[in-house]
Amino acid sequence: MTIRPMDQLLPPEGVPLNFRIAGIGVRTAAQISDLLITGVGALALFLLTLALDIVTPGTAIAIASMLFFFIRIPYYAMSELIWNGQTIGKRLMKIKVVASDGQALTTQSLVVRNLMKEAEIFLPGTLLLTLDANQMVPSIISLLWIMAVLAVPLFNKRRRRLGDIIAGTYVIHLPKPVLLEDMSKATRQPVADEQKFRFLTHHLEHYGAFELQTLEGFLRASDRPKGPAAYKRHKETLAAIVDQIRRKIEYADPVRAQDQQAFLEAFYKAQRGYLEQRQLFGDKRADKYHAAQDDQA
Amino acid sequence: MSDSDLIRSARFRQEREADWIKLSTLVDKAENQGMHRLSFQEARDLADLYRQATTSLSIAREISLDRGLLDYLEALTSRAYLSVYAPQQRLGGIIRRFLTSGGPRAMRASWRVLLLGFLCMAAGAVAGYFFYFDNPEWFYVFMPSELAGGRSPDASTDYLHAQLYGEEDGSGLGAFATYLFSHNTRIAIFVFGLGAFLCAPSILLTFYNGLILGVFFALHVDRNLGWDLFGWLSIHGVTELSAICIACAGGLKLGLAVLFPGNQTRASALRAAGHDAVKLAMIAAMMLVVAALLEGFGRQLVQDQSTRIAIGWGVGALWLLWFALGGRERS
Repeated sequence: MTIRPMDQLLPPEGVPLNFRIAGIGVRTAAQISDLLITGVGALALFLLTLALDIVTPGTAIAIASMLFFFIRIPYYAMSELIWNGQTIGKRLMKIKVVASDGQALTTQSLVVRNLMKEAEIFLPGTLLLTLDANQMVPSIISLLWIMAVLAVPLFNKRRRRLGDIIAGTYVIHLPKPVLLEDMSKATRQPVADEQKFRFLTHHLEHYGAFELQTLEGFLRASDRPKGPAAYKRHKETLAAIVDQIRRKIEYADPVRAQDQQAFLEAFYKAQRGYLEQRQLFGDKRADKYHAAQDDQA
Repeated sequence: MSDSDLIRSARFRQEREADWIKLSTLVDKAENQGMHRLSFQEARDLADLYRQATTSLSIAREISLDRGLLDYLEALTSRAYLSVYAPQQRLGGIIRRFLTSGGPRAMRASWRVLLLGFLCMAAGAVAGYFFYFDNPEWFYVFMPSELAGGRSPDASTDYLHAQLYGEEDGSGLGAFATYLFSHNTRIAIFVFGLGAFLCAPSILLTFYNGLILGVFFALHVDRNLGWDLFGWLSIHGVTELSAICIACAGGLKLGLAVLFPGNQTRASALRAAGHDAVKLAMIAAMMLVVAALLEGFGRQLVQDQSTRIAIGWGVGALWLLWFALGGRERS
């Protein structure tokens, strides 16, 4: 599991909300897609004016220089104003600029964070392309500068670049709500009617929330359609898990091969009900080591 | 499956699921079409359902161990929070507010750094002037050749005179664009953006710009064309050079916030300074566009010396009036 940098924000309702901070990688990707989109767009427009042959060459050059001016600061500031903190590249990457106090984005903060882009991104970028190995001093100065600019977002928690700090903004992953099925509702009955899995308290004392949620992940994945090879592997994993659980909780009754899925689902439901009940009584069990921790305490 | 068969957290979910899905569609609508497109009913529902969802989330964190449900509620509430508390700002009226109050107020509030910006440029100009009379060779050191356009201490006086009054190639829109994106606009953008790097780049760039001005002026004074150059520069230069100084002031404001944050942290000092600095930058951008218009059209059409001076300084006076009087509260 990767550690995702999160940022907590307390809305007036008093329920803290967690936002996932967008890292350097995804923001660079958004920046590159913006550069490509605007660059190709401006070039296409320019070629169109040339092809239509409605303007003199002098005016065409003027149009070109205006276009290439527009795709720098004005494009970013205006698209973020229109789409509430998203450029086209940011929309593609599903990231968004938000104000660090959680309030609405102001015009001036969006303008300033994009004005700083000139000094932070475009100028070092151009320098990098035009560096000359023969000129030592300018090369070293620009190298130091590029490193300083890159270091700013690396050394603060919210991955803010200088423009973000001045504007009081940062960039988050836009959360995507997907409502998955409740696994405790989807339990199927065992194939043989007479057999019904029963779990007693001493069966359910062993695991904690972490194991429960790992099992939940496995159950969700097992509903996905898969090919013959994957199906075989899935069956093997299933058998291994059932074996392991039965050994751990000392579940004596045999489980037939065709009932293994039903066994896991029944166990998930029983275990979840039990753990949730314990939690209501103030006994939160994070994982299977809860008993050892209680002893230490 | 009957309700009694369900465990507690599943019942909790079943009772509220419909509301969550309704909230989800409302949030999608508010994000895609904007809050102002929602009907009264929908806007009220959005706020109501959002508050219910926060309650659900806070309960679910306590009673449910269903990872899928927790993730869903976290994402849904965060998203709904953004559309309730950080909606799209209305864009209408931004420009009018900036012109009538925001811009001039920011100028008046930052008169100290503005003074510093103009001082940098003036000091550079004076230094450049004396450098030239010390040794005209300095002209080649300071003046970028593409900016000089053949004007140098070796050029004849007639050539210099012709440059000031002659027809320039390219006119109208073409000339306008070339001037706008030429030397000075780039300088202005850098002067502002680099200010945050401890002021030094801004001061150096503005001083250097002043140096160029100084040696250029000294060259013409040397050939007794000083007054003519004054007219030639005045028509757009009053606006353009002021714009660079104002951009420099914006950059200085940021740099000073980094150097001397006072009792605040550097980040919050930068943020506070950014408020006015960005307005200075926008004013500088506006002035550069006007300067480019004057340079592209005005300088060709008006060949008369005193009219050039009158237009240049008249426009300058208008700017000053706007800064001094705009956005004052009526008492």
